Amino acid sequence: MIEYLFINFGKYFLMLKRIFARPGKFSIYYRQTITEVENLGINSFGIVVIISVFVGAVITIQTNYNIENPFLPKYLVGVTVRDSLLLEFSSTMVALILAGKVGSSIASEIGMMRVTEQIDALEIMGVNSASYLILPKIIASVIFFPVLCLISMIVGLFGGYLSCFLGKIIPPSDYIYGIQYAFYPHYISYALTKTVFYAFIIVTISAYYGYHVEGGAIEVGRSSTKAVVHSSVLILLANLILTRILLQ
Amino acid sequence: MIEVKNVFKSFNGEFVLNDVSVLFEAGKCNMIIGRSGSGKTVLLKSIVGLLEIDRGEIWYDDRLFSKLILNERQEIRQKMGMLFQGGALFDSLTVEQNVMFPLNMFTNQSYREKLKRVNFCLERVRIERANSMLPAELSGGMRKRVAIARAIALNPKYLFCDEPNSGLDPETGIVIDKLIKEITVDFKTTTVINSHDMNSVLEIGDKVVYIHNGYKCWEGTQEEVLHTNNPDLNDFVFATTLAQQIKKQGI
Repeated sequence: MIEYLFINFGKYFLMLKRIFARPGKFSIYYRQTITEVENLGINSFGIVVIISVFVGAVITIQTNYNIENPFLPKYLVGVTVRDSLLLEFSSTMVALILAGKVGSSIASEIGMMRVTEQIDALEIMGVNSASYLILPKIIASVIFFPVLCLISMIVGLFGGYLSCFLGKIIPPSDYIYGIQYAFYPHYISYALTKTVFYAFIIVTISAYYGYHVEGGAIEVGRSSTKAVVHSSVLILLANLILTRILLQ
Repeated sequence: MIEVKNVFKSFNGEFVLNDVSVLFEAGKCNMIIGRSGSGKTVLLKSIVGLLEIDRGEIWYDDRLFSKLILNERQEIRQKMGMLFQGGALFDSLTVEQNVMFPLNMFTNQSYREKLKRVNFCLERVRIERANSMLPAELSGGMRKRVAIARAIALNPKYLFCDEPNSGLDPETGIVIDKLIKEITVDFKTTTVINSHDMNSVLEIGDKVVYIHNGYKCWEGTQEEVLHTNNPDLNDFVFATTLAQQIKKQGI
């Protein structure tokens, strides 16, 4: 077990070394990065928006239910929803969702390329396959996942507002006051910083499992599952460490 | 010219290649033949550096390829072309983009120049009006021909073919074989072909190397392979009923 862990660690860091070693032509990498922004970022926009709206609405209802007390002002619902979204949901929970969507897609895409010898074909041509396939994905996700995180914050808060407005949970004016009350801008930079780390974890872990697939379609499926599970666990671990460091 | 000297390769302590030495000459179709699992694919992958050898040397002209670091190997690899068993075309790219890929990566030519070269290579392998097609839309034979076009896009000095006829009907197989032969002669490439198809060997093999259980058992010419006294090779060459009947009637 420990030996397996060390072997994987070693192979992972060797892969990282290859990814960042001597990239090829800038124009090719630039074009690849733009394509990956679309594949990994823009194509995830829908799911992030849908989940954020509903979670924002649900947090509002649950918070109101839990703190229903005549001594507590109603605007506290807005404060709680904002802090829940900014501190945890829009960064960590969205990252876990992206680990499922983007991570499995990366692992299966690269895995299929491996089993159909497309990666070998790149190597034979003299292309650094790790760098060509993975670096644009890292750059795209490190740039675009924080954008998705910001969108999730905005849309989640809007979901909370909709819940107040349509469900008559609390007066919408109290909610608006609450989400502005004692606002601490560091929460946004905190969430964005975490998202950058998560983006790196999701892409590199998923790419690692795809890049090292051996066998056929079944192994590609297994690597895809491993990619999601392991990147999710590492996101939670990174969350703990980053929260300890950034919220001191 | 490629020279393999005393190469050993093992997996989990079990040797798959045992002290293999062979010289592949330029401008010739060098065939590596042998039964499934004999080690010929491992030999081919070791020669191109997709597998690291345990011991021995692999020379590309005057450069000791097996001892080079990755960046130095990439220089030599830019002079290689390889035809994989399944073609290994990039699924998401069209035929034109596949053939243009090495040109995009390693040349600074304008789009017009690259397109001219792509069309030349596609014409060379007799593929017409398929520039915008995706690999999934091509037949097995067409995929192989596009793969050859991609392999020759940068005028390779060394051409490697892994089972070029597998999955093809005999007629299409012969077309692919002749194409490889033409390219080898025209471009004076050092061509190494890994095959277990005796039709291929008799059609285009200038030099034949027989691998058995990881050992180089025999080497010779296309003519000699039919008259060998090596029992293993004889069994391999005359494995089919048709071949046995031909042998009985005198070759």
